[in-house]
Amino acid sequence: MLEIGPIFRALMRNKVGAILIAIQIAITMTIIVNAVFIIYERSQKMQRESGIDEANSFYLSSAGFAESFNAKVSIKEDLAALRQLPGVANAIQINAIPISGGGWSMGLQTQAGAEYDGVGVAVYMVDEHGVDTLDLEIIAGENFSPSDIGWRETAQRLWPDKIIITKSMAEALFPDDPFETAVGKTVFINDTEPMVITGIIDKLQAPWVGWDRVENAMLSPENLNYESTRYFIRAEPGQRDSVMKNVEEFLAESNTGRIIRSMRSIEETRERSYRGDSAMIKILTTVMIILTVVTALGIVGLASFSVNRRKKQIGTRRALGASQGAILRYFMLENFLISSVGVFLGAALTVGLNVLLVNQFDLDPIDWFYIPIGMVILWIVGQLAVFGPAKKAANIAPAIATRTV
Amino acid sequence: MLKMTEIKKVFRTDLVETHALRDFNLHVDEGDFVAVTGPSGSGKTTFLNIAGLLETFEGGSYQLDGEDVSHLNDKQRSQMRNEKIGFIFQSFNLIPDLDLFDNVDVPLRYRGFNAPERRKRIEQSLDLVGLANRMKHLPSQLSGGQQQRVAIARALAGEPRFLLADEPTGNLDSKMANSVMSLLQDINDRGTTIVMVTHDQELARQAKRNIYVRDGKVSELHEVSELPDAVTA
Ligand SMILES: Nc1ncnc2c1ncn2[C@@H]1O[C@H](COP(=O)(O)OP(=O)(O)O)[C@@H](O)[C@H]1O
Ligand SMILES: [Mg+2]
Repeated sequence: MLEIGPIFRALMRNKVGAILIAIQIAITMTIIVNAVFIIYERSQKMQRESGIDEANSFYLSSAGFAESFNAKVSIKEDLAALRQLPGVANAIQINAIPISGGGWSMGLQTQAGAEYDGVGVAVYMVDEHGVDTLDLEIIAGENFSPSDIGWRETAQRLWPDKIIITKSMAEALFPDDPFETAVGKTVFINDTEPMVITGIIDKLQAPWVGWDRVENAMLSPENLNYESTRYFIRAEPGQRDSVMKNVEEFLAESNTGRIIRSMRSIEETRERSYRGDSAMIKILTTVMIILTVVTALGIVGLASFSVNRRKKQIGTRRALGASQGAILRYFMLENFLISSVGVFLGAALTVGLNVLLVNQFDLDPIDWFYIPIGMVILWIVGQLAVFGPAKKAANIAPAIATRTV
Repeated sequence: MLKMTEIKKVFRTDLVETHALRDFNLHVDEGDFVAVTGPSGSGKTTFLNIAGLLETFEGGSYQLDGEDVSHLNDKQRSQMRNEKIGFIFQSFNLIPDLDLFDNVDVPLRYRGFNAPERRKRIEQSLDLVGLANRMKHLPSQLSGGQQQRVAIARALAGEPRFLLADEPTGNLDSKMANSVMSLLQDINDRGTTIVMVTHDQELARQAKRNIYVRDGKVSELHEVSELPDAVTA
C-alpha cells in the first residue's frame, strides 16, 4: 500500500532538511554526470590508435658535434647497421614522432593559388622503409621506391613531387569522393607547388594529440641532411627493451663524433602526451567519489535524524498496524520522493552546467542518455543510503508508543 | 474474548531483572468495559502492551478473540493489531505533520481499504467525535481534549473489537477527561470491548468492571470502596 500522498504532505510541513538534501542530490548529480561525460570523452580520446606499432617502437636523437661529422654518411651507415641489428624489425630517420607533441605541419590544397585555403596536415619525412617501420598499411596506391627519396637540406623550401597521405586526409581534401580515388591526384603545398598523391595509408596520427585534425598526416619521401636528427626503430615483438639498450650502446660506439640522447619508447611518449588527460580523469573520479560519499552520508544523517525524531510516531504506526515492512517502505519512499525532487532539479542543472562548459571551454554537448542514467544512479545511491536508517526504524519496538516521556 | 493465563514478563538489563508481570490472570468478556488501576510501576502498561500485541511475553498463554497469539509472527501480529485493536495513548500520539484526515487515515491505509472506503470511514469517525469540520487542521491547532478525540476517531475508524487505552485522560483537565470518558462509554454501548488503564478513581468507577494490579498481579475489585489508598500514588 503506497502512501505517497501523506508522506509528501508530511514532508511539505517539514521541508528544510529535505530540501537541503534534494539540493545536495541535484548538485551531486550535476557534477557527477558532467564529470562522467568528460571522463568518457577523455578516455575515448586516450584510446584512439596512433596507427604505429606503439608496443614495440622507440626513438632517439643523434646529434653530431665533431668537426669531421658527416650527416649524410652517418645516417646512411646508421640506418644500414640498425636494420641488421638482432631484434630490430626496421629503422628510419624521421623528422617528428607521432603523438609526441612536437612536429611539422603544412597545408595542402586541391587548387593552386594563395587565395585557396589549405587543409592542415602533419608532415613526416621518411624513406621507403617508413611504411614498414611505422607499421602502416597502404590501402590504395603504393609505397615510395628507393629512387623517390631525396635529401632535404636545412634551409630548403622545395618539396618532393610525391606524397602518401592518410585516408582521413584524403577525405578532408576530397570530401565528395571515395578516398581511393585520391591516388594520382595532384595537390599543392606552399600554395603552388604540386605533389602527386601516390599512396593512401589507413591511419597515422599527427604529433599533437589535442589537435582536432589529428588524423591528418602525410609522408614525404625524404631523408634530412641534418647533423641533429631522430631515428625511429621498431623492434621485433616483445624485444623492445633489450633492443633499446643494444641500440644505444651500438650507436654510441659506432660513431664517437655524435651523442645519443632522448631515447624513449612510444608507450612512454603516449603516457606523457596524455598525462593531462589522465590527471583530469583521476581528479574528476576523486571528486565524484567524494561527492557521492558526502551525499550518501548526508542522506544517512538526515534519515537517522528523522528516524530518531520520529521514534514515537514509528511506534504509534506500529501500534496502529504497520508491519516492519511498512515502516521500511515509508522511509525508502520518503527518500525516493526527496531524491526525485533532487534528480529532476539535477537534470536541469546538468544541462545548464553542460551548456556553460560547451560555451566556455569548448566541450561537446552531453549525450541525452547520460541524464536518465545519472538520475537512476542517484536514486539508487539514495535508496542504498537510506536503507540502514530505514531498517533501524523498522526495528523500533512498537511498545515505545505507550512510553510516556 | 481476551483471556490471559499465568502471563509472565521480565525486563532484563545488564544490571537488573524486573518482573513486570508475574502469573497475570485476566478474562475480559465481549462488550465489557474494564478499568485497570494500580500503583505506578505495577505493570499496567506492560499488561496493556501485551494485550495489544505490542510486546511479547515469556510464560503463560494469551488468547485474543479465541486465537492463541504466542505463535504469531511480527507481520501477523501487526495485522491483528490493525484489524482487531484500537489504541488510545496518554499523550494522544497524533502524527504532528499530518492533518486530522491523514491521521485517521493511517490505520486504514495499513488495512488496505480503497480511497472512497477510507474517506467514508474517516468522515464518519471524525463526525462521531464531533470534529468533522476540522479535517484539514493540524493536531497542534487543537486542544488536548480535541486531540484525544481525534485519537479515538483514529482508533475507531477501522471498527476494532477492542479498544485499549493507557491513561487516556492523564494529560487532560477534569472537564475534558469527563467528556472523553462519556465518549468511551458511548463507544462501549455500541459493543466495543474496552480496557482502560487509569489513575482516576472517579473515571474508574464509571467503568463496568474494575481490576487492581499490584506487583504484576491482578486482584479483582467489585466494590469501589475496597480500593486501597495506594492507587492514587
Ligand atoms: N522497556 C522496559 N525495560 C525495562 N523495564 C521496564 C520496561 N518497561 C517497563 N519496565 C518496568 O516494568 C515495571 C512495570 O512497568 P509499567 O508496566 O510501565 O508500570 P505502570 O504502567 O503500571 O506504571 C516497572 O518497574 C518498569 O520500570
Ligand atoms: Mg503506565
